[in-house]
Amino acid sequence: MNLGLGCVCRPVSWPFGSLLDSRHCVFALTLLTLLMQVVVEANSWWSLAMNPLLIPEAYIIGAQPLCSQLVGLSQGQKKLCQLYQDHMQYIGEGAKTGIRECQYQFRHRRWNCSTVDNSSVFGRVMQIGSRETAFTYAISAAGVVNAVSRACREGELSSCGCSRAARPKDLPRDWLWGGCGDNLNYGYRFSKEFVDAREREKSYPKGTYESARLLMNLHNNEAGRRTVSDLAHVSCKCHGVSGSCSLKTCWLQLADFRKVGDALKEKYDSAAAMKLNARGKLVQMHSKFNAPTSHDLVYIESSPDYCLKNQSTGSLGTVGRLCNKTSEGMDGCELMCCGRGYDQYKAQIVERCHCKFHWCCYVKCKRCTKIVDQFVCK
Amino acid sequence: ARNMLTGNEPLSILPLNSLPEENVGRAHYKLCDRLKLEKKQRRMCRRDPGVAETLREAITMSALECQYQFRFERWNCTLEGRHRANILKRGFKETAFLYAVSSAGLTHAMAKACSAGRMERCTCDEAPDLENRKAWQWGGCGDNLKYANKFVKDFLGKRSNKDLRARVDMHNTNVGMKVIKAGVETTCKCHGVSGSCTVQTCWRQLLPFHEIGKQLKSRYEASVKVGSSTNEATGEGEISTGRGLPQPEPPQPLPGLNDQIPRTMDLLHIEDSPSFCRPSKYSSGTAARKCYKDKNCDAICCGRGHNTQSREVTRPCQCQVRWCCYVECKQCTQREEVYTCKG
Repeated sequence: MNLGLGCVCRPVSWPFGSLLDSRHCVFALTLLTLLMQVVVEANSWWSLAMNPLLIPEAYIIGAQPLCSQLVGLSQGQKKLCQLYQDHMQYIGEGAKTGIRECQYQFRHRRWNCSTVDNSSVFGRVMQIGSRETAFTYAISAAGVVNAVSRACREGELSSCGCSRAARPKDLPRDWLWGGCGDNLNYGYRFSKEFVDAREREKSYPKGTYESARLLMNLHNNEAGRRTVSDLAHVSCKCHGVSGSCSLKTCWLQLADFRKVGDALKEKYDSAAAMKLNARGKLVQMHSKFNAPTSHDLVYIESSPDYCLKNQSTGSLGTVGRLCNKTSEGMDGCELMCCGRGYDQYKAQIVERCHCKFHWCCYVKCKRCTKIVDQFVCK
Repeated sequence: ARNMLTGNEPLSILPLNSLPEENVGRAHYKLCDRLKLEKKQRRMCRRDPGVAETLREAITMSALECQYQFRFERWNCTLEGRHRANILKRGFKETAFLYAVSSAGLTHAMAKACSAGRMERCTCDEAPDLENRKAWQWGGCGDNLKYANKFVKDFLGKRSNKDLRARVDMHNTNVGMKVIKAGVETTCKCHGVSGSCTVQTCWRQLLPFHEIGKQLKSRYEASVKVGSSTNEATGEGEISTGRGLPQPEPPQPLPGLNDQIPRTMDLLHIEDSPSFCRPSKYSSGTAARKCYKDKNCDAICCGRGHNTQSREVTRPCQCQVRWCCYVECKQCTQREEVYTCKG
């Protein structure tokens, strides 16, 4: 039995002894492969989102720096953690925002961005360089930009303040440029340093799968950050005489993260398939299609089958997922359940109803229960 | 002096080609043999030389209309014989549509062929049931729907009580014919004193086939699923919408229908369609299908995403009418993006 590890179990000439020997060999090999599987599970800085919020006060007390205790950070990331300890809380929040947005955007699809455990967060699915992996990397990098920029504006971080961005050229002359905008510049640079640190400190020989993955991850992180930067817009407040717009102050504001999620989801739909060329750079698989820009997502492998549960690819399968009977899209019962069929249950839903406003100033609602049909994949 | 044409004379087939009579007589036999017809159908085809060409025209018209109506859907009515034959063997909504559009196409083509004078055995619409009490008169040359209906009923076979699928197919075929019948318009031309409408000539015309296709598509979307149950009194099987079938929970009323009994103008289907996303024996899947980014790329590509390709398209633009009487256009090139499904 050849397990691809170069070990072929040779039977001994004696019939009974041969059976025993090959069984031993098989047992040893399976143990070895299981061990290898455990080792290959990679941890990631996303785990910062799963652990409880790190309170900044803990650092002030002078306790042992928590950076070495944080699971999933690479060497470079740990160094950055020690240098910028107050930023870590916001990195965790940024990762959490990213994961939440990912789960919202993928709620109707077979892979719904579900978290598996606290260290590798998404499980072995991220080992495959698929479109879903590209989206996850991009949206988490974008989440960090968002969180750090906001934190700068709110004065939570010591090393940055309000945005010092230059006045945009197309702003009308009599509007004031000031206020306290989100510090996009700082957030972008910090996210680049921190999130890309793991990729930058390693180097793989040209032409290997790992080097392709490295280039892909760097590209997708950049795409996420650029999307946030593209969607940042000028926001103004009128404060003239009795609130008129004779006096207006404008500043740079980051877009609502939902918009970033929507934009990245569109990029996910039109992501470009890439491969390594002879020089070790990523090029398109089919050159007739449009080349991806730095704002587009790229991927190097096709997605695994998310229909069935599979330990080696990390897919959780769609058994037990809710589906929508009347929909023709990916959340319809035909596509979500992959043709396996579905069961129908009646579920009781409790919701607020008959809400009334009372003076002054609260809203009181009653609770209504209603029975709805739910469809669950087999 | 020329004879005044009142429009009631039977048209005779003019010898448009120089072939002698026997060759013309034999040529349509070959066409009839090329089409895969049953014995009775072949006999009907051979009887009249115009039938073969009408059949061919009907097939082309139905196929094109089907592909046009389904161009934005996952199943786009491909003409590949293998897929189509497999779909026709089952009882999907798509099967119902195919039966309806084929019978509608044949009726339409036959009625038009009669009025165009391509057939030997029929001419313009006789309209014996019309009254001439009003100032206008029935004339012109209307499409002969009566002959067409009779022909198609004979051609496609009688109602068979064999099994559920045969009856559903027959019902859907009838729906196609009924839609054509319901879509007859009266067109009139005024030719009284200085063009007034004191004297009118009216005739009946079928709706253009595009309209029929649109109606059939909306019936396809509202298609009713049926099963069969045995009538306990007579022991016969009859078509029902599943009330009589043993089901674990009460059937939900289908959206848009108030009563459970399928009306005679509804299309019926027996089983749920597959999703047509992946290549199967019913379709070749949606890989490399053209889609439109804002409208339907999500739906057609089944979540697999799309590829973008830019290309330059040259189109006529800034068109002007020059006296007299042609249109002059410039050629504009613009970059356009073409989206095709991945997979």
